[in-house]
Amino acid sequence: MSVVAHLPHRTPTLTDTEAAHPPALELTGRRPLTAEERRTAETIFGEFRADGRYREYVLGCLNCGECTTGCPAARFYDFSPREMLQIAAVGDATTLWDAMQEKIWACCQCYTCNMRCRFGNDIAGIISVMRELSVRHGLESTRRVLAPFNRSLTLLMTVGTQVASDMIQPDFFRDWGPFAAAGEKSWDADPHLLRQAIPIDVLQTTTSSWEVSVQTSLELFRIYEEAGVLDMLRGLDPDLTEMLIDIIEERREEFEEARTRYHSQLAAMHGPVATFSG
Amino acid sequence: MNPVLVLGGGPAGLSAAAELASLGAPVLLVEKEEYWGGNPRRWHYSLLAPDLLPAEEVLNPLVSRVEGAPLIERHLRTTVSRVEPLSSGFRVELKGPETSGWREVSSVVLATGFDHFDSRRKYEYGYGRYPDVIDFKEFEGMIHDDRLTRPSDGALPKRIAWLLCVGSRDVQVGNPWCCRMGCAVSIKQAVEVRQKHPEIDTYVYYMDIRTYGLWEDLYWKSMNEYGVKFIRGRIGQITQAEGGKRLLATGEDTILSRPTEVPFDMIVLASGMEPGTGTKEAAQLFGLPVGPEGFLTPKLSDLNPVESGHPGIFLAGAATGPKAIPDAVTEGMGAALRAYKHARG
Ligand SMILES: Cc1cc2nc3c(=O)[nH]c(=O)nc-3n(C[C@H](O)[C@H](O)[C@H](O)COP(=O)(O)OP(=O)(O)OC[C@H]3O[C@@H](n4cnc5c(N)ncnc54)[C@H](O)[C@@H]3O)c2cc1C
Ligand code: SF4
Ligand code: SF4
Ligand code: SF4
Repeated sequence: MSVVAHLPHRTPTLTDTEAAHPPALELTGRRPLTAEERRTAETIFGEFRADGRYREYVLGCLNCGECTTGCPAARFYDFSPREMLQIAAVGDATTLWDAMQEKIWACCQCYTCNMRCRFGNDIAGIISVMRELSVRHGLESTRRVLAPFNRSLTLLMTVGTQVASDMIQPDFFRDWGPFAAAGEKSWDADPHLLRQAIPIDVLQTTTSSWEVSVQTSLELFRIYEEAGVLDMLRGLDPDLTEMLIDIIEERREEFEEARTRYHSQLAAMHGPVATFSG
Repeated sequence: MNPVLVLGGGPAGLSAAAELASLGAPVLLVEKEEYWGGNPRRWHYSLLAPDLLPAEEVLNPLVSRVEGAPLIERHLRTTVSRVEPLSSGFRVELKGPETSGWREVSSVVLATGFDHFDSRRKYEYGYGRYPDVIDFKEFEGMIHDDRLTRPSDGALPKRIAWLLCVGSRDVQVGNPWCCRMGCAVSIKQAVEVRQKHPEIDTYVYYMDIRTYGLWEDLYWKSMNEYGVKFIRGRIGQITQAEGGKRLLATGEDTILSRPTEVPFDMIVLASGMEPGTGTKEAAQLFGLPVGPEGFLTPKLSDLNPVESGHPGIFLAGAATGPKAIPDAVTEGMGAALRAYKHARG
C-alpha cells in the first residue's frame, strides 16, 4: 500500500557484522535468559500480577490503536502503548521481562493514551508499575537506561526538584515568548516575565525559588526513607544511594550545628524572648 | 374497542400499525415529525444493506399500507404530553396541529426509535470543524442524490476513508455497546461509491467487522468484487494537510504494528445509535425502566422481547437497542399481536 507513509521510527536494519553479534538483542532481552534471570523474571511477573493496581488499570483491550496514535513516544521509538497494554494483559514472564528491559522507558508519562483509550485502561499507570518493578529489582538494563539521569535524580532526591537555578536560561524556556529570549540581561528584572515563570503568591525570585531550606530537604529525605524509595533505589544503584545519604548526612550536621548555635545564643541573651521548639 | 396507540412512525411503528389494522383493531398512530418512515426517511437512506434495495422500495410499501387502512387514524407532528392509567388501558393527551386533547386507548406500542451519536463529541476527528469530515447518515443522502463531491470545494474525491465505531464501543463517551449497523452500512456505502465511481479509492478502518450472519456476504463481496480496502486499526486523530486541501488521518495499523498517516479527500464517520430523545421521553411518560444504556428494556429480552412488563405497554424496534430494519419490522408485528390480545381482554 504505497499511499501509507510510515513514520521513521523503526530501528534501522543491522549491518552484517552487527547481525552476527546483535547488540540490540542484549538490550531488548531477546537473547535466552540465564537461569537467574529467569527466576527474577518469574518473580517480577508474579509481583506484577499481584499488584493491587493491576486489576484497576488493566481492564481489557480492543486493539484499536488509538492510544498509539496519540503517543509522542511512538513517533520516535519502536514503542507502542497498545503493545504495552497487550503485554500487561496477556503476556507471560518472558514477554514482560523483554518489555521491561528498555521499552518501558520510552514513555514520557504524558497520559494521552489514557485520554484516548475507549476501554478505559490506565496504560500510563501500568507502565509506571512496570518501571517501579524494574527499579525495585535492580535490573541491569534499568541501571544502564537511567545512568545518564543521575544528576536529575540527585537533585530530585535531595532538594525535590529536577531543575537547578543555573538551568534557568531563556533559551530553555522558549514557550515563555520572544521577550524572554531577547532580554537575557533584563531577565531578572522584568517582573512580568518573572511572574509568568513563578507565581506571584510565592513571592520568590529566580534565584530564591530554587533554594530549598535545609529543613525541607531533610523532611523530604525522611519521606523517601520511610516510603521505601531509598531501598528501591539501593537495589538499582547502591553507589548513588550512598552518595545521596552522604549529602543528606552533611545537611543534617549543618542543621544540628545551626540549631546548637541558635540555642546557645538564646541562652546568652538577657530579658524575655520568644522561643519555639523545633 | 378503544384504539391501540402506536407511538412513532418509523419502520417498527408503521409495521405495528399495519399489522393491527389487518387484525381488525383500530389504531391511533402518532409521529412527532412531519413525515413517515423514521430515521431512514429523515436521512434519505440510499440503498439498504444487505440486499442493496433502494430504501424507497422498502419504506414506500410500509407507508402505503398504513395510509390505505381506514382503521388507522394518523397524526404527524403530534406527540403525547400526558398519560393516565385506566382500569384497563390508558388516557393519553395528544398535542398536535390537527388534534389535541385526551383520548382513551386500550394498549400502547412504543416504537420511538434511536438518535445518532453526535460525532462532534469525538472532537479529535474534527467533525463540525472540517467540512470534508462527514457523518455517515449525511453521506447516505449524498449518495442517494448522487452528490459525491467534497463540501469544501465541490471536487470529486479521489480517496475516501470510513471510520467505524464512532461513539460506539467507547467508554470515553459512555457508549460501550455496538451499533450493529455501522459496519454493514459503511461497507455498503463504499460499495455504492465504487459502483458509481470505480476510480475512487475506498478504505475502511476497523477494529472488528461485524457484518453478522448472512450479511457477511456483503463484506466479502466488497473486497473481491469492488476492491474496497480494509485497514485494521483506528484513525485516532484527523487534522488538515496540504494547506487545508486534504485531511490527514493519523492512526495505527494494528496488524503491521505501525503508526500511519494517510491523506484523504473525505472521511466518513460511522456514528453509533443512541436511545432517541423520543424514547427517553416515552420512558418517563409511561414510567418504564431503561437499561444502563438508556434504551427501553423488555421484561424478558430473550423470551419476549416486545413486552415491557407493564400491562398494556409493548415495545418494538430501535427503542430497545440498535437493530436493522427487518428486525424492527418483525418486532412491530410481534408487538401488534400482543397489543391486540391485550386490547381484546
Ligand atoms: C446510517 C444508517 C443506515 C442504516 N441503513 C440500514 C440498512 O441499510 N438496512 C437496515 O436494515 N437498517 C439500516 N439502518 C437501521 C435502521 O435505521 C433502523 O433499523 C430503523 O430505523 C429502526 O426503526 P424504528 O422504527 O425502530 O426507529 P426510527 O427509525 O428511529 O423511528 C422512530 C420514529 O419515532 C418517532 N418518535 C420518537 N419518539 C416519539 C414520540 N415521543 N412521539 C412521537 N413520535 C416519536 C421518531 O420521530 C421516528 O420517526 C441504518 C441505520 C443507520 C444509522
Ligand atoms: S503516557 Fe507514555 S505511553 Fe501513554 S501516550 Fe504518553 S508517552 Fe505514550
Ligand atoms: S486505546 Fe485502549 S482499547 Fe485501544 S488499543 Fe489502546 S489500550 Fe487497547
Ligand atoms: S456495527 Fe461495526 S461500526 Fe457499529 S459499533 Fe459494531 S463494530 Fe463498530
